[in-house]
Formats: sequence, C-alpha cells, structure tokens
Amino acid sequence: MKDLTRGLAWLGALYLLGVSMSAMAGAQDPVASDDIGIINPEAAAHAFPKRGFSPYAGRNYPTRVFWGDQHVHTGWSADAGAFGATLGPEDALRFARGEQVTSSLGEPAKLSRPLDWVAVTDHSDAAGVIFEIRDGNPNLMIDPIAKRWHDMMASGQGVQAASEMIAAQSNNKVPSVMKDPRLAMSIWEKNTSIMEKYNEPGRFTAFIGYEWTSNAGGGDNLHRNVIYRDGKDKADEMLPMTTFDSENPEDLWKWMSKWEEKTGGSLLAIPHNGNLSNGKMFALNTFEGNPLTRDWAETRARWEPMYEITQIKGDGETHPSLSPSDEFANFEKWDAANLAGVPKQPGMIEHEYARQALAEGLKLEASLGVNPFKFGFVSGTDTHTGLATAEEDNFFGKHTGVEPSPHRWEHDVIKTPQVTVKGWQMAAAGYTGVWATENTREAIWDALKRKEAYSTTGPRMLVRFFGGWDFVPADAQTRMPADAGYAKGVPMGGDLQTAPAGKSPTFLAAAMKDPLSGNLDRMQIIKAWADASGKLQEKVYDVAWSDGRKPGADGKLPPVGNTVDVDNATWTNTIGSPELISVWKDPDFDPKLRAVYYVRVIEIPTPRWTAYDQKRFGIKMSENVPMTVQERAYTSPIWYTP
Amino acid sequence: MQRFVREPLVHFLLLALLVFGAYGLVSRREPATATIDVTQAKIEQLAGLFAKTWQRPPTAQELKGLIDDYVKEDIYVREALRLGLDTDDEVIRKRLRMKMEFVSDAEAEATPPTDIQLQAYMDAHPEAFRKPPQIAFEQVYINPDKHSPDASAAATALLEPLRKDASYAATAGDPSLLPPSLPLTDQQGIAQIFGDDFVAAIITLAPGEWEGPVSSAVGLHLVKVTDRAPGILPALGDIRPAVEREWMNDHRNAVEQQRFDDLLKRYKVTVEPISADGSPPP
Repeated sequence: MKDLTRGLAWLGALYLLGVSMSAMAGAQDPVASDDIGIINPEAAAHAFPKRGFSPYAGRNYPTRVFWGDQHVHTGWSADAGAFGATLGPEDALRFARGEQVTSSLGEPAKLSRPLDWVAVTDHSDAAGVIFEIRDGNPNLMIDPIAKRWHDMMASGQGVQAASEMIAAQSNNKVPSVMKDPRLAMSIWEKNTSIMEKYNEPGRFTAFIGYEWTSNAGGGDNLHRNVIYRDGKDKADEMLPMTTFDSENPEDLWKWMSKWEEKTGGSLLAIPHNGNLSNGKMFALNTFEGNPLTRDWAETRARWEPMYEITQIKGDGETHPSLSPSDEFANFEKWDAANLAGVPKQPGMIEHEYARQALAEGLKLEASLGVNPFKFGFVSGTDTHTGLATAEEDNFFGKHTGVEPSPHRWEHDVIKTPQVTVKGWQMAAAGYTGVWATENTREAIWDALKRKEAYSTTGPRMLVRFFGGWDFVPADAQTRMPADAGYAKGVPMGGDLQTAPAGKSPTFLAAAMKDPLSGNLDRMQIIKAWADASGKLQEKVYDVAWSDGRKPGADGKLPPVGNTVDVDNATWTNTIGSPELISVWKDPDFDPKLRAVYYVRVIEIPTPRWTAYDQKRFGIKMSENVPMTVQERAYTSPIWYTP
Repeated sequence: MQRFVREPLVHFLLLALLVFGAYGLVSRREPATATIDVTQAKIEQLAGLFAKTWQRPPTAQELKGLIDDYVKEDIYVREALRLGLDTDDEVIRKRLRMKMEFVSDAEAEATPPTDIQLQAYMDAHPEAFRKPPQIAFEQVYINPDKHSPDASAAATALLEPLRKDASYAATAGDPSLLPPSLPLTDQQGIAQIFGDDFVAAIITLAPGEWEGPVSSAVGLHLVKVTDRAPGILPALGDIRPAVEREWMNDHRNAVEQQRFDDLLKRYKVTVEPISADGSPPP
C-alpha cells in the first residue's frame, strides 16, 4: 500500500513535470558581400550623408541587447518541489542577477555573467490561496482573533500562530474578516512581492509572470507563460488563471483580456514545446475541434506575439522529416511523444514546429484575413531547479533529479511504458536577447511585444536583422550597421508591404560571436512561404560564412570543421569568424506571394554539456550520446505581405 | 465557463487506487459518518475567489458547480487522509514544508529594520554595496580575418591618423556590431561585450589618447579611454532598498534557522550508520 502510494506520488510528480515539464543563392548573388575591407572616410561619406560631430545624436533606437530567461521554475512549482528543488523565487532571482547560490543538492552555483532580466514562471495551479495574515493589515486588525495572531507572529510566535490558525480553520472558526477573498493571502501575492523587491529599473528586471500549464487530453503540451508588463499593484488585482479553471487556451486569452480591462495593464503569453503537443500547438482547428475563424486568429496573434523556440526539452525550429534538405534541422530533438509519453502518430509533427507554423500562418492569413501564427522567437530554460543555466559548461539540468552528478546522463527525465527520455537528451538552452532602449520591465516587454528579440541556445551572440527594399552592400560596411538598418528598413519582427515595382526585398544581417563561446560558422536566412498552389515551401540560404569556403557542386557549403577535444572538453577558435555581416537580396522573390524570413546563426562545434560532465566526473558515456554541439541563434522574422 | 474541475491524471490514478487498491481496506472499517457543512462563509469565499479570477460573480449554475466541486474535493481529501494517502507524497510534503517556511518568513518580515541596523549591516558588508570602478571609452575595431597575416600592423597604422583627426574615429576600422563607444561602465559590463582579456588590457591605458592595439575575443581594437570613475561606497540613503533587501534576506534565513533549531529540539533523531566515506548503504 505504501509502495503503491509512493509509486503514484512519483507518477503524479512525473505528470506534473510533464505539465511543466538550399540553394547557395547568397554565394552567387552579386549583392551579397562578405569580403569587405577597411572602410575609409571617402567611402563612408559616399554611403551616408554627412552627420554632425556626435555620431549618436538623434539616435533613439535600441543599441543594446538585454539577456534574459523568460521561463524559470522554482521549488514553488509543485513538480519542481517533488523532484527535490528547495530554492524559491528569491534564490532564482539572486542567481539570475549573478550572485552565487547553493543548489538544492548543496552545490555552489553561479552564472559566468549575470542576466539582465528574468521571469520566474511557476505553475499557476500552485499559486492559490493559503491562509496567512498580512502584516498589520488594518482591516484584519479590527478582528480580535486576527490581531492576536498577528501579534503572535510579530513577537516571534509564528509557528504557534500558524497552528492556531490551522486549528481554527479546521473548526471553521476562522474570523469572518479573513474570508474576504481580498484578504486571503495567496502564494501569488507573495511571489509578486518578491519580484517587486528585486526589480531594479536600469539594472535588473524581474518580470511578474506565471506558467499556465495545460496538458489537454493527457499530456498534449499547450503551456503558456504569461508575462506582465506591470507591477504588483496591478498583478495582484486578479488571481492567475489556472488549468483548474480551464485547459482551453481561448479561456486564457479571455482571462488576459479581462485582466487588461480591469487594470489597464498589459500582458502577453508565450507558448512553448509544440514538439510535445502531439500536433496541438499549431493545429488547424480550435481546442474544441472547430474550424479556425478570423476572430480566433486575431485573438491568438494579439496575445501571443512570441514563441519559445528552444529550451531544455528540445528545440522547436523544425524537424528533419519536415526540412529534409536542411542539414542543421536535426538539432536537439524531443520528438517521440507528448509530455505524458503518448507516442506520436503520423500527421502530428506537421503542426508542432515553428518554421512550418510561420508558413501555415501566411496561408491562414490569405483565407482568414489575419495571420494567427505571426510570432517572433524567444528562448527559455524551463529549468525546474531555480537556476537559469543555459551554458554547456555550467548546466544544472531540467530538474533537481538531474542536477550535476556522474549518473545524470543515464537517468530518466521522462519515463512511461512507451517512451523514455534520458538525461543526456536534455538541451542546455537557452537565453533570449532583447533589443531594448533600457533595462526596465516596460522597455523589455515592449520589445517582446514588437518582436525585436531573438532566441539563442545559450551563447550571447549579438544578432541584427533588418529588411527593406534598398539595402546595398555598402550598408554592411559601416561602423554602425544599425544606422542603415533603421534608416532604410524595419528590424526583426517588422513588416514589408507591397513591393515597389521591380524590387525584391533586401536584408541587412549581422552577427557577432559571444566572447566566451565559439566562433561563427555561418549566417543563414530562412524563407518560408506557401506557393501559388497553397503548398508550404521553405528554403535555407547561406548569406555569410567563415574561412573563405566555396559551395560544392550540390550548392552546399562544406562543413566548417571541428576542433573539439572531447576528452578534455575544449575547442579552439582557429576556425570560424568572430563576426559575419551581409546584405542579401531574395533571388526567388514573387511579389504576389506572402513570405516570411528569419536569420539563423550557426556557431562552430563546441563541447556539449555531456562532454563537460564526462570530463569532470571522469566517466564514459555510451557511444550514442552527442559530445559536441553547434549552438545557434534564431531571430524573430520579417514578413512580406503583398 | 464551467468551474467543474477537470481531473488531472494524477487524481484519476489516485481514484483508481481508491477503488482497486484500497477497497478491501475501506470495507474492513465501519462506514464513515461525517457531515460536511457548506457554510454561508464558505460559499461567500468560493464565490469571492471565482470573482477574483473572472471579475464577475458566478452564475447560479456556476455557484452550484463550485459548491458541488468543493464537496467532492472535501470528501476526497477526507478519505485520502483517512487512508493515509498524504503520507509519503512528495508534493504534499513539499507544500507543507513551504508553508512552514512562509510562516517563519512572515514572522521575520513583520518588523522592518531600522536605519541603525541597516548602517551596521552596510559597515559589516561594504563589498556587497560598493559601486565598482567604471571606464568610458571609444574603440575602433580591426577584424583579423580581413588583415591577415599581420592585423596588428594594420591596426597600428591607424593610430597616427586617429590621434591627428578627432572625426576619423567615426569611420575608421572594420564594420562591427560592437558599440564604437561606451559611457561609464563597470568592468563586468564591458566584459559582457568585449570579454575579460579586453578589460584587463584597457584598465592600464592612460586616458585621453588613442592607444593599442588591444586584443579581445573578436579581434583587435584601438582604444581611447575617455573617462574613469573610481569605485565608491554609496551612502545608505542612496541605496536603502538594496540594503534592506540584503539585510532582510539574511535576517529571514537566520529566523528560519532559529525556528527550525527550536523545532529540532522537540525531536530525537536517530540515523542508522552509514559507511565511513559517506556513500549510501549497498
């Protein structure tokens, strides 16, 4: 009986975890240019009208990337706690700010560099009301019993007060004043107080947020993170939406709408792990199985401007079966089942990945009038340890059961009769880079809303992406490529409309390596569209690359090489480029067809977290465990609409 | 909107356990005779919580759903407790532990610190509050890929023109996403963009003149340090919220430890021997 109970508790915990848990046209196109020499004043004067002395005067666009993780769970998430996480939101914030904390298993943990912002997104299902007396609340103080408890707490008798409260509650003798829902203390309010305390405008942003964790139909992942632009005063006005209220995302959107109406604040929701949704994340019908409507599309696009494309539970850009000619498509895949281990059936994968959803969105826009899948890309870790780690050499794992240890690689992260996911399959990912004007909730949230942000699998690469009609190679040769980018085009997340006669869209793309990570292998522009017959199409263009490589007869750029010494978990930056910049013009443009473009930046191979574990613990993992990784960045797209 | 709880899988499994696993156990006991009074206060609370999520009172039908669901939950909870299903449940145990910690937190946070306490705390932990030294500079980037084999010579060749013509910096060097200049920024902030080697090199540069080349993780740079600010320890009044946050963090941990130590005294804990090296028993 006891064993059975324990087994069920374990299963329950597992369930909750689940809950939480081309062508080389660029090379041929004369507009593309990678080989650019030192620019001299004459050339610059030619490219730009002369400006005043200060090159920064009049510049009000974002010049800095702010790095963060919008997806962190702590021990306050029931599933994280069940796996042994004892760190709370306060620890998670201190860790994200760059301080050293002690992990739930007693290991000192610190980031190589602080994050600029974070959203702690514990599951809303556990954020409900618990009885607690708020300090000196005057409404409570008029009740003698409540006042007595408060005084006991204030005088150091908190435990006794709590036991009296519990006794009173069980005897239904709780003072009536405490039954006022406005006074019933919730974990939510405690959470928002902590966020408020650590949010320091200009230095560190602590977003208020929660995860609404819908596992409809037994493990189909429809999870969303809800991120607040505003502070505690507004966030506390309503309790978060839970899946006890509803598992239908449309109800979450209604809740968000209600919240905004009531408070005048702003919310957005970020879905994640379509790869574990068994075809539901980007399904072509509603939650209840009805056809999509214009109203539905508008609502989804309004609330969900961003999609979390990569995280510990796998990468969601595309799948090798959907992108067979993309040699980088088979990357950190969790594609066997949904979160509860229900195996995937044919026809599901088509509705789970971001690249196809972007293309499908264009088709839906043509039929419904609105594109429901018009989203940009962010990353999150979805850690359940309270530790937002996404670097390969500092990876604390999905949950406390797989924090660093000699055996975590072979532990089960998810185990059901049909499907097992092993520890080594975890991806050490990822962080979000936001082009914002300052480090505040408002500025970063606004950048997420306008999709001027991008995803990486952990490294902090700088990536710019602009689209316009008039970019020329000289725009890639200036000291400040962003000047030309904003002056002549739109940044990532933007729109190009109605092509001028005879023009094709041009793009200015630039990437710079993370000083602590590998050099860059290549920069690609990925185009997705629906052709005249409605068939979804995609094409990957290499637009800049390192080491002077020449595409082969098949049009493919040769691999960059590999300097990784797996035994020692080291590599050298003797291959690859520190920076790649290019202007690219779509060589296959059809002005009548909607299209969507985004940049993918690929690093040279570096040691995967498994190689660091192998080295540090002096162990040998089995042959099938990957030991190197080519980290990448995905920018938010730019859309063309005729 | 229906407020009927959609039972998660775990509840379903627990229910299955009740039916199949525990039937014998239950049937051996006397049937329970208990009453569940759904009081006016409870109904108000259920309706109030609904309104706090949905910003309107429940309809009559929804309220009935809330009450029915409350009764169902209460019966399940009581039966589960009777069967001991709460024991050894990691989720329940962690939640109870968390609530104990909350109680101690509330106690710790009930009394805010005084300025005297905070000043003493600052005096004891000056490093935690010191503003680090800052450097402002301009830089011109030389991409080694474009100047092989001798990028250093290419960089050095730019020094003279840069020193002669103040406006040349705006266009000199190779294109890059690196900022051409940074306002006063601490070392950590500079290292975020340029790497640690670069920071170590520019710390020693004399201000006011173009110097270099200095190498970073991405290439070579000519650098003109334009301003420096020494590290300072701000006054309490300027950083009170941060000091209070740190003080409270320590205080809360201390109170929690104290409360736990008090509780520990009420228990006799015996641990069976473990091996000398601390490894688990075989």
